[in-house]
Amino acid sequence: MDRRTVLKGLAGAGGLALSGGLSAPAIAQGASARTLRFVPQANLANFDPIWGTQYVVRNAAALVWDTLYGIDAKLQPQRQMVESEETSDDGKTWTFKLRPGLKFHDGEPVLSKDVVASLSRWAARDPMGLMIIAIQQELTAVDDRTFKWVLKQPFPKMLYALAKNNAPCSFIMPERIAKTDPFKQITEYVGSGPMKFAKSEWVPGAKSVFEKFADYVPRQEKASWLAGGKQILVDRVEWLVMPDPATAAAALQNGEVDWWENPIADLVPVLKKNKNISVDIGDPLGNIGSFRMNHLFAPFNDVRARRAVLMALSQEDYMRAIVGDDDALWKSLPGFFTPDTPLYSDMGGEILKGKRDFDAAKKLLAESGYSGQPVTCLVAQDQPITKAQGDVTADLLKKLGMNVDFVATDWGTVGSRRAAKTPPGQGGWNMFHSWHAGADCITPAAYTAIRANGDKAWFGWPNSPNTEKEITSWFDAKNLDEEKAAIGRVNKAAIEDVVYAPTGFFLTYTAWRKNVSGITKGPLPFFWGVTKSA
Amino acid sequence: MLSYILRRIVATLPVMAIVALFVFSLLYIAPGDPAVVIAGDQASPEDVERIRQSLGLDRPFLIQFGSWVWRILHGDLGTSIFTNLPVSTMIGQRLGPTLSLMIITLLLTIVVAVPLGVVAAWKAGSLIDRAIMAFAVFGFSLPVFVVGYMLAYIFALELEWLPVQGYTPLTQGFWPWLENLILPAIALGCVYIALVARITRATMLEVLQQDYIRTARAKGMGQGGILFIHALKNAAVPIVTVIGIGIALLIGGAVVTESVFAIPGLGRLTIDAILRRDYPVIQGIVLLFSFVYVLVNLMIDVIYTLVDPRIRY
Repeated sequence: MDRRTVLKGLAGAGGLALSGGLSAPAIAQGASARTLRFVPQANLANFDPIWGTQYVVRNAAALVWDTLYGIDAKLQPQRQMVESEETSDDGKTWTFKLRPGLKFHDGEPVLSKDVVASLSRWAARDPMGLMIIAIQQELTAVDDRTFKWVLKQPFPKMLYALAKNNAPCSFIMPERIAKTDPFKQITEYVGSGPMKFAKSEWVPGAKSVFEKFADYVPRQEKASWLAGGKQILVDRVEWLVMPDPATAAAALQNGEVDWWENPIADLVPVLKKNKNISVDIGDPLGNIGSFRMNHLFAPFNDVRARRAVLMALSQEDYMRAIVGDDDALWKSLPGFFTPDTPLYSDMGGEILKGKRDFDAAKKLLAESGYSGQPVTCLVAQDQPITKAQGDVTADLLKKLGMNVDFVATDWGTVGSRRAAKTPPGQGGWNMFHSWHAGADCITPAAYTAIRANGDKAWFGWPNSPNTEKEITSWFDAKNLDEEKAAIGRVNKAAIEDVVYAPTGFFLTYTAWRKNVSGITKGPLPFFWGVTKSA
Repeated sequence: MLSYILRRIVATLPVMAIVALFVFSLLYIAPGDPAVVIAGDQASPEDVERIRQSLGLDRPFLIQFGSWVWRILHGDLGTSIFTNLPVSTMIGQRLGPTLSLMIITLLLTIVVAVPLGVVAAWKAGSLIDRAIMAFAVFGFSLPVFVVGYMLAYIFALELEWLPVQGYTPLTQGFWPWLENLILPAIALGCVYIALVARITRATMLEVLQQDYIRTARAKGMGQGGILFIHALKNAAVPIVTVIGIGIALLIGGAVVTESVFAIPGLGRLTIDAILRRDYPVIQGIVLLFSFVYVLVNLMIDVIYTLVDPRIRY
């Protein structure tokens, strides 16, 4: 008998009296093996994947709601809820047919009217969806299993839009739920995905529970990211939120949880030493670090000032600040697109390569007219990645002779203040730090940060007609070669005009107990195919 | 006594109202916008504005405040901006873990700190006294999270006696409930035990020098009787006061402790709500904490009259 058993026995004896006979239920070994306990990257604070676009919401939603198409590991859209599709000769009419036997978690069949309502709600909130709406003639249900989307002009990226994994994904909900105003939250979480959301067990900020949906009919193909046969091999998946990384690491080592989505770099060596734990790169598409300069106000309204910063910045400094000494976790990125993906290009990226030239950068900065005015640099201290980047930037700007107004605050404040278009001295800003999931930076489709259409662009409001022109040419591209060429030109134009400053490409780890198998690398945690032994 | 309690309750209402106004104003002027957090990075300013409107955040301060007060008066704490759940439900979900943690910590403190303080006073100047006071200084100086990590490392990871994290409701068994709370309660209790032990020692030393103690000794009363019947009862008022004030420490400490041990309590809910600018949740929690403070003060005043009959209102 070990000490813990003795302690339990003693407490049980005392507790029996105190609790009026309540005692711990005997939990069978098998029940534990059928429940996968997972520590997500963040708290699941809301559960409407159209209303809230946080990654964690998207990741949970992928369990509960299915999509018409799913992106696979080769970054190709594959049929998911759809059995077949047809495009008219002029490319303006898309007709889709649903797979037979699809059911929602409330037992109702999935019908075309559900799809029409869901796509309408999604399109109102999604950048690609808005592009489709802009050229939409009609979106209608033809019969229970058939619907068509008629456009005024061709939209070659239709299947990609319906399959893409960046939030908001085009999840399909029952019509009554999907008719909710896209700017208001849904209150019912009924999907047709492989797992049901146990709302009664939801403790936002602490625990979310998903149960296997017995009536889910997986596709016959092998699962590949969001595509293929989503076979759920456990009965329950419990998401346990742990705000403290040290606690999550200890819980994983102690066997209290089975899988930790993203262990921080500092704790990875400890986990690697544990013989019961596997550690590997979680998402091969990684992340792109960034800081954005405000194109509306001096000094960064002058492209020479922005180029001066690019000329001097060391991506290695940024990356080491984020990931530490693990060289396997980062690489330099002379551009904006995710490395090792089909369209990646470093065309025009010379300014980010080679030895850093401070003298030339200072000269260029002086030519831009910079004369020592404060540069308001917003840094969210509660996000380790932004904090690390902010410290490096402050040092960089000082070395360039700039007068840094370092505003250390929290992410909530940065999130609000970066939207201000007022001058930096009046509540606005000159720079802020962020990062982008590599999965969102494969093409311009989901890549808000690369857009350079002035007032309509992301924070910093870059205005680069050349970049926009090349983005349009990518949307119009008819084949892979045309797409590749277009992306190269987008990269070159975006660097020339310094849409934003990429600080490098970095990867993160994921860690799990060795009694768990079937975990695959991808831009989100995939639970299909994952098993757990006792 | 009853009229006194009623008068005190009535007197707390303006305090609660001022606290409510203060908290609401503070959140109103604080930077950060929940609509921006909700809308996400892809959203346009128009999207953000539509979300602000749907949440009622675009309305004037007085209307928002008035509407909130009106709902409170009708027993409605509002709805979380993020989860869309009633604030009362969210607080209800989190109350159990926090109350459990506080009760265990409070019991631990009383059971450990008071005897330690009494013994230290009894053996004043001795090695035992110095050891207890050194322990108190140690306990007072170490941050909760440091103690928490140390305990988790030793008792969870190395010895594997206790779990690292989580909370199990009492309804699922006494041991599952208790085993999750032992380490957090010790971590949270360290500062509190140190504080109460020091106050107990100081108060007991003062009481032990009183004439009636000397008389009791002269009459041949045993040391236990002197310490625990005569002295401790007369030293109780300041000790009770410190224990009461310490509830504030507990609430503050619970925020850190709940994060370190991943306990889904009110402390973590508070932090999450503040970081997301979930105004209704923050307001509900602050109102609840204010109410707890007022209640604790009232209870302390009542306990005064019980432990010291000379105190009358």
